[in-house]
Amino acid sequence: MRVRIFLWRHLNKLRWVSLSLVFAMLIILPCLHIYQTYVAAHAYDLLAPSEKRFYDVMESLTAPFINDPAEDLDAVKGNTWSGNFWGLKLSDPLAVLGQMAAGFSLYWPFILTALIPIAVTAFFGRVFCGWICPANFLYELNSNLAAWLQWAGLRTGARRFDKRIKYGVLGLGLLLSAATGSIMVAAVYPPAIVGRELYYVIAQGGFGVGMVFFVGTLLFDLLVSRRGFCRYLCPGGALYSLLGRYRLVRVRRVVESCNDCQKCNAVCEFALAPMTDGFGQECTNCAACMAVCPTDALTFDIRLFDHPEQGPGHLGRRYRREPSDENDANKAAEEAAA
Amino acid sequence: MRRRGVLARLFAAAALLAGGALPYVLSTILAPGAAKARRNNLRPPGALLDDKAFVAACIGCGLCGEVCPPDCIRFHARTGGDAVNTPYIDPSERACTLCGKCMEVCPTAALSIIPRARIDMGLAFIDRTACYPWVDRGICGACVTICPLGSRAISFDFANIYRPIIQKGCVGCGLCVEVCPHSSKPIWIDPHRQSINAAEEV
Repeated sequence: MRVRIFLWRHLNKLRWVSLSLVFAMLIILPCLHIYQTYVAAHAYDLLAPSEKRFYDVMESLTAPFINDPAEDLDAVKGNTWSGNFWGLKLSDPLAVLGQMAAGFSLYWPFILTALIPIAVTAFFGRVFCGWICPANFLYELNSNLAAWLQWAGLRTGARRFDKRIKYGVLGLGLLLSAATGSIMVAAVYPPAIVGRELYYVIAQGGFGVGMVFFVGTLLFDLLVSRRGFCRYLCPGGALYSLLGRYRLVRVRRVVESCNDCQKCNAVCEFALAPMTDGFGQECTNCAACMAVCPTDALTFDIRLFDHPEQGPGHLGRRYRREPSDENDANKAAEEAAA
Repeated sequence: MRRRGVLARLFAAAALLAGGALPYVLSTILAPGAAKARRNNLRPPGALLDDKAFVAACIGCGLCGEVCPPDCIRFHARTGGDAVNTPYIDPSERACTLCGKCMEVCPTAALSIIPRARIDMGLAFIDRTACYPWVDRGICGACVTICPLGSRAISFDFANIYRPIIQKGCVGCGLCVEVCPHSSKPIWIDPHRQSINAAEEV
């Protein structure tokens, strides 16, 4: 019935590979752009020594894969806010929604670019947040830093707020976009900020205002509330949560092998409760709880709704102690089997 | 009791709204509005003519800048108010070569693909009291030589072949501004030819 695959516990490593790759791309692409401008200028001899070194490195890196840097390197461009992969244009659904609000108009070529992300979210939930988002990469490192600081005896923020605030941020952002005629959500959406600020720093000669905002959110996460921006404030996270509310692929607890150790609850970056079957629309399918589970009691399930609460895990103490009909029946079955 | 419950709910809703407004307040404070765009402050080629519509359409992804071969597209990164993160071109620093890559890559309606001759970034103007040939301080012709549109956009005066004159075919790419050797740049681009045409005959 349920497929339990021991490989699920290694998915978290794959996720870190994915996050690192996306982040590396956001650094490499602006570098390739600079290299392209050098190529287009046809003036290698006029470059400064450091620029010549940069040119040579980029040339040796790309030469095996392409013929003409000026044209062929245009195949992959952009960031997670909006990108271009061999002619396939992909955009964040929040960009589309924000633009529709700001301009009171539907521009179909642009709306269609968000179709694949929306479909993926409808099937797999908030995988963008857990597996792709370049800001999530930094926020998770930040939350690891907080763990080290705690280990060193320093106190970090652990406040909890209402998770519904982010839906307010999303709604208000769209209202403000409509009122001001500029896409306000883009200014407070960390993945968009990280993507373009990396580009500004590398290829445009300095960071913009978004960097200040982003560093502020890092400090907020560190000093006030662990992963606070993603959990309580991110407008994109709110949109992805809504889109992934009826996702097909869900994490599910196998109550027979759960021992109530609470490690999954502690490790969950989004303050969910895997141990009591509390996933909901906020789950990013990041598989961190699967990686930490000592009894492999978490698995993927294909269904439209979360499994209702299943009570204490059968390997835990509470299950042994608590008398109940179902419990007794199970015990009787176990004894009969023995 | 019921009234108190309603009040508590209203208060909670207000708190949610205030919490939601906080990021926007911060981001707005961080990006102060810039001075009104004047000469040499151009949008990339193919941009929507109405600047408000352009700002509403542009999502600030930076793709146009990332494909620009001469690297002339800059971004309002630290100022600009509502127009923060939108692209601009300052031809006195680096001018557009009208290659059209930004129009092709733009995912939104902000930049649309239009033929080169119909691009409308602006219109060039020459200060005839400073341009070297116009004040008989020598011969130049750099602007006429560099123009990618040729005599449709800029040509020499009939009587004195070194004096440049802007023609109606100018699309405002700004290459003439970039190459002008005069330190005070007596040639410049006023954004959006159409609005200028409407205001006064060229």
